[in-house]
Amino acid sequence: MKSKKVLAMGLAGVMAFGMVGCSTPGSETTAAAGDTTTAAASAETTAAAGDSTTAAATENTSGLKVFRYATATDPTSLDSCKGNSVADNEVNHLIQEGLVRNNCGEIAPGLAESWEVSDDGLTYTFHLRDAKWSDGQAITSQDFLYAFQRLADPATAAPYAWILDGRVKNGGDVIGGKKPVSELGVSAPDDKTFVVELEYAQGYFLSLLGSVCEFTPQRQDIVEKYGTDYAASADKMMTYGPFTLTSSSNRQYVFEKNQDYWDADSINFDRIEMSVIETGDTQLAMYESGELDYVAVPTAQVPNYDDQDNEYMTGALDWVYINSQAEYVSNANFRLALNYAIDRETYNMLANSGTYTAWGNPVMPAVDGINATYGEEFQPDGYPINGDLTKAQEYLQAAMGEMGISDPSEITVEFTTTDAETNKKIAEVLQEMWQNNLGINVEIRQVTYAEIFGNVFPQHDYMVGYGGWAPDYADPYTYLELFMSENVYNYSQYSNTAFDDLMKQSTTITDAKTRLETLAQAEQLLLDDGAVVPLQVRTTHYLMDDDVTGVGFYFIGYNIDLVYGDCAPTA
Amino acid sequence: MAKYIVKRVLAAIATLFVLVTVVFFLVRLMPGEPFTNPKLTPEVAANMRSYYGFDKPLIEQYGTYINNLLHGNFGYSMKYTNKTVNSIIAETFPFSADLGIRALVMAISFGIVLGSLAALNRGKKLDFVCVIVAILGTSIPDFIMGCVLQYFFGIKWGLLPVAQYKGFSYTILPATALAFYTLASVSKLMRSSMLEVVQQDYIKTAKAKGLSKFRITWKHQLRNAIMPVITMLGPTVASVLTGTFVIESIFAIPGMGKYYVESVSNNDYAMILGMTVFYGFFLVFCNLIVDVAYGFVDPRVRIGKK
Repeated sequence: MKSKKVLAMGLAGVMAFGMVGCSTPGSETTAAAGDTTTAAASAETTAAAGDSTTAAATENTSGLKVFRYATATDPTSLDSCKGNSVADNEVNHLIQEGLVRNNCGEIAPGLAESWEVSDDGLTYTFHLRDAKWSDGQAITSQDFLYAFQRLADPATAAPYAWILDGRVKNGGDVIGGKKPVSELGVSAPDDKTFVVELEYAQGYFLSLLGSVCEFTPQRQDIVEKYGTDYAASADKMMTYGPFTLTSSSNRQYVFEKNQDYWDADSINFDRIEMSVIETGDTQLAMYESGELDYVAVPTAQVPNYDDQDNEYMTGALDWVYINSQAEYVSNANFRLALNYAIDRETYNMLANSGTYTAWGNPVMPAVDGINATYGEEFQPDGYPINGDLTKAQEYLQAAMGEMGISDPSEITVEFTTTDAETNKKIAEVLQEMWQNNLGINVEIRQVTYAEIFGNVFPQHDYMVGYGGWAPDYADPYTYLELFMSENVYNYSQYSNTAFDDLMKQSTTITDAKTRLETLAQAEQLLLDDGAVVPLQVRTTHYLMDDDVTGVGFYFIGYNIDLVYGDCAPTA
Repeated sequence: MAKYIVKRVLAAIATLFVLVTVVFFLVRLMPGEPFTNPKLTPEVAANMRSYYGFDKPLIEQYGTYINNLLHGNFGYSMKYTNKTVNSIIAETFPFSADLGIRALVMAISFGIVLGSLAALNRGKKLDFVCVIVAILGTSIPDFIMGCVLQYFFGIKWGLLPVAQYKGFSYTILPATALAFYTLASVSKLMRSSMLEVVQQDYIKTAKAKGLSKFRITWKHQLRNAIMPVITMLGPTVASVLTGTFVIESIFAIPGMGKYYVESVSNNDYAMILGMTVFYGFFLVFCNLIVDVAYGFVDPRVRIGKK
């Protein structure tokens, strides 16, 4: 009898422990990681209450301007050299600063107060301002030199290192291990001056420097102190920027205003909380219940928020790659028939619930022009958004004549896509349009994501396939270069000497207008040749609280720019 | 008894070794490779391969891996470049385990009570209710359960937090959603097991001896009927505690589930291996506990296994 009592009491104890006794795992970490007074105060409250339910609420934010939002993907690395995704750039955009800041397309001084560009556009000389790392040590040109060289160093194995290849002098050779890192075209003549030499003139170079995280300075002693664990968490790194990352644990990133930032007067948010929540519907539910101030609306939900949401383009352009060496699609007229046979608007409604922007050009229109966007000033007309069946038939007949085929049903096109549900839908809609409008056969082949970018596209083991491109800088060149004969990403195996010549010519032109005109001519050649089947520009629909202002959106590097955001203080 | 335990432990170690070896070579057979970012140039990809040691012969990599493993080191993730698999497990497992323990306590206690009550009231209303709960629990997928709970309790009535895991009130919905399936299967198993035991001769003997109904149920029926439930608990505990992707994802709980599922689609070799070995270790450990518990609860087991 006695043993049973003990058992019963033990069981009750276990239940109590399981149900209420222990606080949830996150509570200690949050408190430990924060070093500000607010965090410390909350830790005490949490401990005293014995239940961390109120952890978030007791974080004394009253009177502070707090912005809370969610992203769907974890940052892959907090190490600015190893960053490789939009999430990485967004975090770094808040906590770091490069030579210049790209504020949604406006280039503003960053750690460089001023700079000069040589007449040939090949040499950039930056003059640094007085700024200090969080431990008080001055930020010098050595820190930039170290970061650039570390990015290129093969031993670092930085995924984004290729951005230097062909752009910064000797970049490709250093990455390929053919030259030592000291040969990279960067130098620090004195503590306040940093010089970058380019392979060719790149009008977009400042815009690139200001929007991705790889070009922010790093402290050699700190990187070496932590070795491979550098930036594994917020406390194993050193940064300097508008905000300081105070906690990165449990998939929640907390940023607090850096009072020592040189432009601290322009920064309004006291605190930013970014939670990683991969389910879009959960994010939306949290926004609806007032736990978030901003949310990206999941694709399927967009029709429910017709009048309340806003949208921005993420820059990613989706298209159907055409392997120009494969059967049937090697014929330019046939490629044009494929392009004209699609009603892109209907396609977008069917495949993406109309959330993206249907688009018929291989270049996204929002990239930089001179006074306005490239789309407004230079871009040639693309394929008609609603298609043109008469033209499609003309091109098809011409193609069949050239190929010696009398019946379109003799043609079978294999469409490769990934096994993601959304991509399957896209393939099926296009299959239907091509089969109905051209009378050809389309077969869908599904492979994994790893296969399509690991084997299928690089080894040209496909006929047509769904893919796309996210821009690396706000210039048409970032899309167009994919179709140059020698480009490693030329999955299309597209080869056109006239196109290559125009592209190479554009790199020698220092006059911005002539240069963009040349690129527009190159784009026209791609359109005439049907080199690719453009489909859509990715568009994100979002909801934001009314009291929030100053939040920007951009399509290079980062998507959301919170640096100059403002909102009403927490009650 | 000691001999029995030693035997079980040795078998467990051998199982783990086979698991590690098979998974190590299997992941290499997956199509594609870990560095599938469409923007990697061949030079950069080569640098990354040599950074992670993939340029060495496979057998050498295997040796290195086993050596690291013996030192408790799972290596670096290839997707989250600065994080070790150990640190990711250390950060996420407490959440999964915390949620799992809450769900298990709920599932097992209610499941056993419900199943026993159903069996004792066979054919009556209470039995009917229990059967319905069991059918619903086993047929409604947990993601639907999670969404329904989240919608009503979180959004519509605003009684409980919608998502995240910051305190007791946050744990109720996900733990309930997660517990439901296990609760239903435990109660189903308990019910049928109780009904089976009641037919046994020793129950008749006990009745013939004139024992009280309570004593028969408590001492003879329940204790014998609980055996199949214990068998089931080993793997259930392991899978519930190491994270459930769907529930964690719906309720935005920073647990292990996401990393496990995602590692496979990312071809993140170190992460797949680390997660599988950790899960495997846990599963083997739970089964070991069950085996040993058997030995204590049921003397026939340890005698029979000699």
